[in-house]
Amino acid sequence: MNLKDPEAMNEIIGNVLRVGVIVSAAIILVGVILLVANSGLSGTASSLVYNQNQIPHGTFDVSLAGLLKGLTTLQPDSLIELGAIVLIATPVSRVLISVFLFAAEGDRLYVYITIVVLALLLFSILVTPFIPLFHA
Amino acid sequence: MFRLIVIEFLIILFLVSIFAGVFGSIVGIGGGVVVIPVLTLLLGVNIHFAIGASIVSIIGTSSGAASVYVKDKMTNLRVGMFLELATTSGAIAGAAIAAYLNSAVLELIFGSILLISLVPMVTKIGEDIPKNPELKDLSKRLSLKGSYTEPNGSVVNYNATRPKTGLFGMVIAGMLSGLLGIGGGAFKVLSMDLAMKLPMKVSTTTSNFMIGVTAAASAGIYYARGDVNPLIVAPVALGILVGAALGARLLVRARNPTIRKVFVVILAVVAVEMILTAEGIAV
Repeated sequence: MNLKDPEAMNEIIGNVLRVGVIVSAAIILVGVILLVANSGLSGTASSLVYNQNQIPHGTFDVSLAGLLKGLTTLQPDSLIELGAIVLIATPVSRVLISVFLFAAEGDRLYVYITIVVLALLLFSILVTPFIPLFHA
Repeated sequence: MFRLIVIEFLIILFLVSIFAGVFGSIVGIGGGVVVIPVLTLLLGVNIHFAIGASIVSIIGTSSGAASVYVKDKMTNLRVGMFLELATTSGAIAGAAIAAYLNSAVLELIFGSILLISLVPMVTKIGEDIPKNPELKDLSKRLSLKGSYTEPNGSVVNYNATRPKTGLFGMVIAGMLSGLLGIGGGAFKVLSMDLAMKLPMKVSTTTSNFMIGVTAAASAGIYYARGDVNPLIVAPVALGILVGAALGARLLVRARNPTIRKVFVVILAVVAVEMILTAEGIAV
């Protein structure tokens, strides 16, 4: 594939999005099958769904260590969580790859624009959750 | 018994999400508008989990449908990337403001703006391809132009105009999603349609392309707060992805005026829903 060809960019970005979506859906599907098969919810998820009065913030273990531990034991909620993370990462990967695709086309202005978008995006996803200013 | 309830819950959410994915992908908005009220009003789910699921559904609608639109060259990648400068900045600002402002007031303001914007949309209801403006100044430097092929084989060439007004609209759209956990797609389509004069299909597919990035920008905060509940996210994500794949195939074949009509109806629903929420009547 000739990367200088503008058509190549549409092809590649389309494929990145498609792969992200398929991988995410497959992981979530496995999680759902395990969930239904052994009705093995770790308790928190199901009890919180209908419970309006319970405050959900901080109830889930959202740490990376907790997620990895759940994955090694094939916990349904950890698998679904991983699928959701893959889904969230899909548009981010699309922006990241666009930096290289615009560079291959020789469009420097759009390389800069895309780098700024990527920086804002990564700041928003990875940094803002740790800044008190952003907590209600 | 408990197991039956869980399965029933999963199936209802899955079906509702397919519906949300079809509409969301055609008119370029996230499925949150459909998913949130169903979760909170119909199924009695906590609003925080509904918003967490909405964020995931927006990313699903966006990525699922965009993979089709981008390959069909319906989406304008440069217009999208340029405007994402504004939506991501807006999303960060919105998330910061959300901690200090009453969301009911904001919803009332945004709902009213959407309601007012129905007027120009309705007057353009039969419009197919807008009169093509000349490509000049900033639009020219940013090469905000493109072409796509209609199902009947005719090639539509278009240029974008008033990029700064479009950029301003996108800051608002970004703030809205940072504040309320929605895609802000309605404002994105309006900015591209009314300000930048892009053909309707390009506006909705480019908006669809962009909402994934805007929603991803807000995802970190909701995830860290523990609002992404696996039991709700799973059926929503799977349903949305099926719906988006169906919707994307429908859009490619649909006519511009048809898409515009569907958008106007959805816009009216979103506007009324927001105002009702602000008044504490719904959600």
